[in-house]
Amino acid sequence: MKARRHELRAAVGFLLPNLLGFLVFTAGPVLFSLALSFSNWHLHRTIPFHWIRFGNFVELARDREFWLYSINTVYLMLGMPVAIAGSLLLAILLSQRLRGIVVYRTLFYLPTFTSGVALMLLWKALYNPEFGAFNVVINWVLDALRVEAVVRALGGAGVSAPAWLLSTKNLLGLEVERVGTAAGQWGLGARDALIIMGVWIAIGGNNMLLYLAGISNIPTELVEAAQLDGAGRWAVFRNVTWPQLAPTTFFIVVMSFIGGLQGGFEQARVMTQGGPAGTTTTLAYYIYTKAFEEFQIGYAAALSWVLFTGIFIITMLNWKLGGKELSY
Amino acid sequence: MRAFFAATFCALAALSGIAWLIRPAPGREGATPLVWVSDDNPARREQIALFNELHPQYDMRLDPTAGMEKVILQCLAGVGPDVFDCFNPWQLDAFVRSGVAWDVTEELAKRGVNVEEEVWPAILPTAMREGRVYGFPANVAVDALWINKDLFDAAGEPYPEGPWTWEEFLPVAKRLTLRDERGRPKQFGFLCDWWQWPQFIMQWGGNVYTPDGTRCIIDGPEAIGAIQFLHDLMYKHRVMPTPVDEAVMATQGGWGSGTITHFGAGRGAMALGGRWWLCTLRDYEGLNLGVVECPHAKRRVFRAYGRATIVNAHSPRREQALDFLLYQAGKEYNDLINRQADAVSAVIRYTYTPEFLHNPDHPEEDYNEVWREVIKYAQTDDTSPFINGQTASRIIERQLDLVKNDQKPVAQAMRDAAREVNEAIAKTLEMDPELRARYRELTGRDRP
Repeated sequence: MKARRHELRAAVGFLLPNLLGFLVFTAGPVLFSLALSFSNWHLHRTIPFHWIRFGNFVELARDREFWLYSINTVYLMLGMPVAIAGSLLLAILLSQRLRGIVVYRTLFYLPTFTSGVALMLLWKALYNPEFGAFNVVINWVLDALRVEAVVRALGGAGVSAPAWLLSTKNLLGLEVERVGTAAGQWGLGARDALIIMGVWIAIGGNNMLLYLAGISNIPTELVEAAQLDGAGRWAVFRNVTWPQLAPTTFFIVVMSFIGGLQGGFEQARVMTQGGPAGTTTTLAYYIYTKAFEEFQIGYAAALSWVLFTGIFIITMLNWKLGGKELSY
Repeated sequence: MRAFFAATFCALAALSGIAWLIRPAPGREGATPLVWVSDDNPARREQIALFNELHPQYDMRLDPTAGMEKVILQCLAGVGPDVFDCFNPWQLDAFVRSGVAWDVTEELAKRGVNVEEEVWPAILPTAMREGRVYGFPANVAVDALWINKDLFDAAGEPYPEGPWTWEEFLPVAKRLTLRDERGRPKQFGFLCDWWQWPQFIMQWGGNVYTPDGTRCIIDGPEAIGAIQFLHDLMYKHRVMPTPVDEAVMATQGGWGSGTITHFGAGRGAMALGGRWWLCTLRDYEGLNLGVVECPHAKRRVFRAYGRATIVNAHSPRREQALDFLLYQAGKEYNDLINRQADAVSAVIRYTYTPEFLHNPDHPEEDYNEVWREVIKYAQTDDTSPFINGQTASRIIERQLDLVKNDQKPVAQAMRDAAREVNEAIAKTLEMDPELRARYRELTGRDRP
């Protein structure tokens, strides 16, 4: 008993610094922000502090910008399945026993440890409407296939390469100022540009490493048994590799959802300042704007908690729907 | 295990000792440290060096990392700078309403400084609010038209002379806009940053707000006319780059971004900009520059902007920080500003010196009288006390983004902007009882 108490004291002693740090710098602020979300706290001292119960949340439901930026946030996550599939494909390729495979792995992982701002500036140049690599290729293809002439002959208005970061257009035709779609908004624009960049960064990132680790943990006897039974590459992948990677995929999906819903701040700040016309403003960027540019701390706290609740519900749904399959 | 933890502890203690030994040197011994939040550039560092030289009892340092929002949060948390920059009236409003700007009206008067009399009136709203003084203007900028004389000479075009109108300007700009055989621009007649839109509204006789700031009227016919003209310069007259042209120019060989670098690289014959552009343009070799008054419309008025220095009300050294304001009111600082071309000195009398008109280090700059002349016709941006300037700016900029990209008719965009700003005013009034009372006093109503 005495030994146990001694052990407990030692454990608490070792844990205390971390625990105190967690309580003071994480749990405390989180609870404080929850309390603030029920207040009208504003940094302007002419606005007296009041507890307003659910006032911020009611206001939020009526806030058109909140809905528009929520849509932007979700839209920017559309690249997620492609990024995950790309990571898996890359991990499979990089798990082959090839000469110099370590060099390839390092090269593909490079974007992850390169400065985000530097990457974004590079992509900004790639998206230049006339001289950027994307439009040079697109224009070359359009010229070679005489697409412009064909479209005009068919009575269309012509075809031009997208203006990328300068355009409010998007693949779903989402409107700029209200929740809905419009034919004139269909095309490629700033939001799609950010998705493409996000996919490129994510493919060779941590997801690829996780898949690599997952693949290396698949028992070779399972693969060999399948091959002995006459299974081809696709059958091995479908019946052995993919099911064995289910826990990894589940983890990646959950983390991608969380990251996606919280994301978009850095890109918006560096590449578009949330524009054009607010089309690349995400919820994270909106929270920053409300708290630190407009000083509506209470409202920003409410926004943060709505975002947290959204993330929490989606994560729970993921667990509920995806967790069942995890029997490995 | 104990030995391991003991060794780790000793190693950490030793590293802490080393960190302590190599910590950054403290300021000059006996000197009071002061921190100024401003942008970092060679001109600013020279201004600080001069202050430290003239006032050896202080050790002024620059904090270049903090924007307005950070300054307010730091000051409220008790870790703010001693002095900080304020760039426009709505920023001053935010500083005052947050309680971080020290009311120095009496303090400066006691020290013999009369801000209202000494400073160009156009820049006063960055330091004064409702009759109270919260700082001292550090400089004043009013835009004029830069002209690239070589491009004028190449086109056989005589240099323009002010005062002149936009109608007179347009044919000149068209003649100076050159395109290649595919219609791609080689040179624009006019370069202008889109954020200069308030000047156009002023010149067209429009306003963003009513004089008492109770309502946004950016949807008035004058304001719409002004923004329509700015839009037409890009899409109808095609003398000014569209956003796509700007992006294209920014990637062509050796080009930086921004209107100054475009102008410096000879891609524009005329450009709307301030004297502070010289801080960059002096580095371009072989530029043959001139300056002429900016064209005007209905009203011969130009937009004033600049910086004022505000003292942190929560600073434990705020009394000492006042000496920095006195320095900014003095001859040495203002002469330095004029010499550096960090815009124009805010104190009127220091622009009436031979050195201002003819900088011996830059005899080619024979146009300084224009800068002094245009300040006389300058005014600051419209503001409203009933809305956060950042909110208004976000709403208006979003609509102007659509106009700039030719995605929305000007009149519709201005109407939407006015409606949204007025809705935001109504929200502010709901939150702020003091403003609500003031609004009711002015209008007899509770909302716009």
